[in-house]
Amino acid sequence: MNIDSSHILSITTFVYMAAAILYISYWVFKAKRLGIVATTVTIIGFLMQTFALGYRWYESYKLGYGHAPLSNLYESLVFFAWVTIAVYLVIEWRTKSRIIGAFATPFATFAIAYASFNPSVDSQIEPLVPALQSNWLLAHVITCFLGYASFAVACGLAIMYLIKSKSPNPEEGVTGALPSLKMLDDLMHQTIIFGFLWLSVGIITGSIWANRAWGSYWSWDPKETWSLITWFIYATALHARFVKGWRGKRIAILSIIGFCSVIFTYFGVNYLLAGLHSYAAPQ
Amino acid sequence: MVTQEQNHSKSNPVIRFFSSVRLAIFLLITLAITSIIGTVLPQQEPLQFYERYGPNIFKIIKALHLYDTYHSWWYVTLLVLFAINLVVCTFKRLPTTLRLYKRDNLDISLDKLKHMRIFKQVVLPKNVSYEQIISEFKEVAGGNISEKPLENGKLVLSEKGKWSYWGLYILHGSILVIFAGALVGILLGFKGSVSLLEGEATNHCIQEVTGKPIPLGFTIKCNKFTLSYYRNGTPKDYRSDLSIIDHGKVVIHKILRVNHPITYKGITIYQASYQAIPRITIKIVASDGQQKILQVPAFERITWPQEHVALGIMRYLPSVHGVPAAQLWWADDSGQPPVAIWLLQGEQRELRRSNNIYQLSLINVTESYMTGLEVKKDPGVWLVWIGCGLLLAGFLIVFWASHRRIWLWIGEENGKKIAIMAGTANKNKLRFERDFETISEKLSYFSGGEK
Ligand code: HEM
Repeated sequence: MNIDSSHILSITTFVYMAAAILYISYWVFKAKRLGIVATTVTIIGFLMQTFALGYRWYESYKLGYGHAPLSNLYESLVFFAWVTIAVYLVIEWRTKSRIIGAFATPFATFAIAYASFNPSVDSQIEPLVPALQSNWLLAHVITCFLGYASFAVACGLAIMYLIKSKSPNPEEGVTGALPSLKMLDDLMHQTIIFGFLWLSVGIITGSIWANRAWGSYWSWDPKETWSLITWFIYATALHARFVKGWRGKRIAILSIIGFCSVIFTYFGVNYLLAGLHSYAAPQ
Repeated sequence: MVTQEQNHSKSNPVIRFFSSVRLAIFLLITLAITSIIGTVLPQQEPLQFYERYGPNIFKIIKALHLYDTYHSWWYVTLLVLFAINLVVCTFKRLPTTLRLYKRDNLDISLDKLKHMRIFKQVVLPKNVSYEQIISEFKEVAGGNISEKPLENGKLVLSEKGKWSYWGLYILHGSILVIFAGALVGILLGFKGSVSLLEGEATNHCIQEVTGKPIPLGFTIKCNKFTLSYYRNGTPKDYRSDLSIIDHGKVVIHKILRVNHPITYKGITIYQASYQAIPRITIKIVASDGQQKILQVPAFERITWPQEHVALGIMRYLPSVHGVPAAQLWWADDSGQPPVAIWLLQGEQRELRRSNNIYQLSLINVTESYMTGLEVKKDPGVWLVWIGCGLLLAGFLIVFWASHRRIWLWIGEENGKKIAIMAGTANKNKLRFERDFETISEKLSYFSGGEK
């Protein structure tokens, strides 16, 4: 059998799955060593995936197409997983807290597993139709997914926040192992800021691309509109800090709603609504 | 923020309402929710289309313009309210920001300095001169320097990033700039389309919404259209070889491709679509012994007078089972109604009419192309891009640029020569703490100083 990038990526799925289980066990059993193993496994998975992405790029040149692995549903889901892990690893490195991994790695695992094992997601390397041959599109996809991945992590933090704040004795047992509410709130705010910046860049580069490809920077197509809805939700979250009473819990709920909107922007629009962005459909 | 809330309560209630962040949040949430409608309900269809949702929903759709949500009166009203909210809130904040910006940061007491969280104090050797330490501080700390005497000593201040207070104005202003750009585009721009056969030229386009012709002020000519495919049959490239002719002179001669528009005199031309236009050759053998080879171009009625036959191309497919296929309409004097018949290249078809039987075969097809261009004038687009740039710049300033102040006081206390350094930053406190540390390391008398 010829090993290609999509095989390596399927194997990465299992590595991430193992990492997620390790992080969760580390959280529940409070075993320090499990945490170290979890981080090691995550880094191994990340390196494997980085290699696979680079290799896929090379494969597309061999096929005569020559484009970055960011052109269809499969590739964007895989990229989403990659960025989520990257954002998480940075947070782990900066906060020295591994428990967040129990809430961040499952998002990446789910995305890459869906890409690898759902038969309706085609893992073939496809050539780019003329409308998709644009560096602006490349910038658009990369920046949007940086935003989406940050929002995934912010959603994980929000879930942690809600678990901890709902618990009758938050400083004990499983909830006690979670970082403090203040730290979770701060991290959530910072990840939302980071994500909002990239989502803004993503929407802007998308408009530039649309303007070059068909002469209209904004045409209210469902995908565009949903990305704007997502943007409104996070703008709400940023402003809510300045209104008294909108702290932790409400921001956590907004962060979860925001991420649902991200998921809908991505899947709902592709499967339920029609529009310009149905990837790979000939223009 | 607290001071602002207090300001609010003193002012006029209308201004208070329009400047509130609560209204901003209300509008953001309302816009987020109502924007969903237009993504679920198909937009800009003819009105009859919406009758399928039943009479009651149809009434709602009609009354609220839900068939074109984003241009409906209430959606536009929300956007206008949003803009008003931004403008009023910005002006309302102006005095507060100006006060912060103009504040005299040297106006501070020694006691306050000593209570800052980031603070260092050292005892200086007797023989060291103030001037020496101050000039060293100025050099190392950089930024804007000011100084004044204070409580038996001297106070020096190094400030950086005071301008960052304006970041929020750049950020919020950018949204207004984008709105303005969109408005200019709506009021002064247009969007139309042009279809050109190879060799054809035109000096106007067809407006998209109204179908009216709009003069371009110059002529577009399509010299040639070419298509290329990848090995698996996916289209790879559409190219229109265009000449732009102004006052009889060719001013631009260029290949137009998707994602590579051409702009002339403020009008931008995009490659949007194409159509293959066939010219087929058919052979007809009639049962009465007559036969004929006919050239049939698209969109034309071709006759064969001896047999009283007229025909033309109805539809054309470049590839059916790998060969071209054309559907012809056929009329003759048999008294029977005209018929349609599909011909595949290389296969003979029989057409039975009451007075004759014809054997038809499609011998050859030559294709030419008609290119579909989109033509757009949008004099507001540059404002939109400036707004986008300002939005990102403003965002970076708001979250990452900080106003940092470092004070150095040198003076005498209890008969000792003492130096105190203290500082604050309004953002990025961790980084400031590190910077402060680095600066104090570089100052010869502070490096060993106690915290
Ligand atoms: C969609 C458009 C808008 C965007 C992208 C936006 C963005 C932002 C951002 C990123 C901040 C900084 C938040 C922080 O420091 O954490 C901010 C602050 C603020 N925004 Fe907006 N904003 C928008 C609309 C509005 C509107 C309509 C108002 C009207 C009241 C408003 C009022 C404020 C105020 C008062 C603050 C500052 C709070 C402070 O620092 O004291 N914003 N905005």
